[in-house]
Amino acid sequence: MRILIVEDEENIRQQLGKHLQGQGFAIDLAADGEEGLYYGREYDYDAAVVDLGLPKIDGIDLITRLRKEKRSFPILVLTARGHWQDKVQGLEAGADDYLAKPFQMEELVARLNALIRRTAGYASPVLSQGDLQLDTAKKEVRVSGGAVELTAYEYKVLEYLMLNPDRVVSKSELTDHLYDQDFDRDSNVIEVFVGRLRKKIVPVDLIRTVRGQGYRFVADS
Amino acid sequence: MRHSIQNRLLVTSTCVLGIFLAITGWVLDRSFQTSVITGAEEQLRLVIYSLMGSVEEQGGQLLVNNSLSEPRLTQPDSGLYAKVADDLSQDIWRSPSAVTTNVMFPQVDAEPGVFVFSELGGSHPRFFLSYTVIWEGADTEQVIFSAATDQQPFRVSIAQFRRSLGLGLGAGTLVFILAQLLALRWGLTPLRSMAQEVQALESGEREALSGGYPRELQGLAENLEKFVEHEKRSRSRYRNALEDLAHSLKTPLAVVRNSLLEVTLDKVLLGEQLDRMETTVTHQLSKASASGPATVGKSVVLADVAERLLRALDRAYADRGIQVDIELDKQVVARGDERDMLEILGNLLENAFKYTHKKVRVEICWAQNEQYSKVPCVLIEDDGRGIPIELREDVLNRGHRLDELESGQGIGLAVVNELVQLYDGRLEIGDSELGGAKVSVYLV
Repeated sequence: MRILIVEDEENIRQQLGKHLQGQGFAIDLAADGEEGLYYGREYDYDAAVVDLGLPKIDGIDLITRLRKEKRSFPILVLTARGHWQDKVQGLEAGADDYLAKPFQMEELVARLNALIRRTAGYASPVLSQGDLQLDTAKKEVRVSGGAVELTAYEYKVLEYLMLNPDRVVSKSELTDHLYDQDFDRDSNVIEVFVGRLRKKIVPVDLIRTVRGQGYRFVADS
Repeated sequence: MRHSIQNRLLVTSTCVLGIFLAITGWVLDRSFQTSVITGAEEQLRLVIYSLMGSVEEQGGQLLVNNSLSEPRLTQPDSGLYAKVADDLSQDIWRSPSAVTTNVMFPQVDAEPGVFVFSELGGSHPRFFLSYTVIWEGADTEQVIFSAATDQQPFRVSIAQFRRSLGLGLGAGTLVFILAQLLALRWGLTPLRSMAQEVQALESGEREALSGGYPRELQGLAENLEKFVEHEKRSRSRYRNALEDLAHSLKTPLAVVRNSLLEVTLDKVLLGEQLDRMETTVTHQLSKASASGPATVGKSVVLADVAERLLRALDRAYADRGIQVDIELDKQVVARGDERDMLEILGNLLENAFKYTHKKVRVEICWAQNEQYSKVPCVLIEDDGRGIPIELREDVLNRGHRLDELESGQGIGLAVVNELVQLYDGRLEIGDSELGGAKVSVYLV
């Protein structure tokens, strides 16, 4: 999952980045509203974390502009003052959730996961497709009730595909959403991950290869 | 510095008075001048009539009897002159007064039976009147009677009148301006003393306004007093919040500092203390930043605030599929600050959304207080677990015992309760028919 973080406080920005990377997210960091707007326009994200008090372009303004440009990824706003006025204004501008500072990193990650899930249409933190279950909170995968051991990247590939069901996801889209910007895009690791995944989640056969285009996760009808 | 009210009123009224007096003076002067000239004309007319009565005809010749009723005609240089002439303007008779004085009688070509009045200029300005008659039986066909009088005595009386008029009007103006000045000073005294009192309030020499202001200023004085009172309350709230904040932060800070001396860092303990500090800061800051009841005519439509919050919460809690039943009376308004209302309703609604299973009910209505007057009321219910009776008091009064707070406990209700109390309102926790908690807020 690729997350955009727009926060002007250097310490919090770095902490957020480090923690989210540790949780398996690919991240882009922006220090002000202008940079945030640039990233938001240029790249496709799975979610964004936006602080409301930003230099150059205010957080509310940034959200309004992103939404006006049809950027529909979920946005979580951070407010320092924690006043309802700020929260309501953020949500009215087009944000999807709010968190008052100081916040617990666990809470932020849970909210982000919930937002990403909600956008994909799943209500529960456990994504289920037939016999396959992926618990986004515990980062566990089960097939027919039995736990399956996956590496971090295998898990990320499966989670991304399950959050984008019945849609062809190209290899470059997968690398965009799973890795930070400086990743070598010619690599064929994605094919390797998918191959391993298919073997590990047997007998479930839900990941189809669409020749020359990418992969499609076939959802339950 | 802008012009004072006194100067503005004084300048305006003096200008208006000046214009009024100028017009009055002009009209009076014109009327007097006209009446003087009409008088002169009338006098000349009488002279002509008396001349006509003195003319006798003897064998076609016209003779004027010198025993005239107007003695000034017989005195040389008297200022009143007369002449009788034939149709060729040849003198038939000239008054003795006009014999020594060379009086020019202008030749008038007028219809018989018509008086012709004119003013003659020159070194001796005079009023002149002539009258032409047809005299049957005389040698001449028409006889022209003329009379003239010096303008000087008339001009003298006009000048005298003007002088007295100017003096009178000038004195009147002075008296008026003086009276106006006194009236303004007297009328503006309450404003001046109010300004002084406000200044004294500002510098802290005074606690309140003295009161007893005239009716027109009563409202302003009352509002000023409320404003000052509000400011004072806010100031003491800030001070108390800061003192509380400092006091409540000292204990956890001491714990953290002492824990640094330990060999191993107790992360759980640190976390607890940080939570305590966070709660303290959030709580005291929301208390300090509340505006409190509005001092002057500001009111908030509670239904609008609730709708805004519900739209926002619907978005944030979209995945929960919460069913919200609303009954909002748009007429219900609370006198206060919109931010405070957002804070009260926001915290209560967020709690309901957080703890509900599926259903939330929001009602905004008018309620009656003990004095049977209407007060705005907000009812928020949910079908969650509710708040056990024994904890209700604690939940509301947490602010008082913040130091003893266990970590991780929310302080939303305590903050709301303090805000509601700031508005002299009441917050009650009860059981909802839905199965969860029912929070009722009665504002004033």
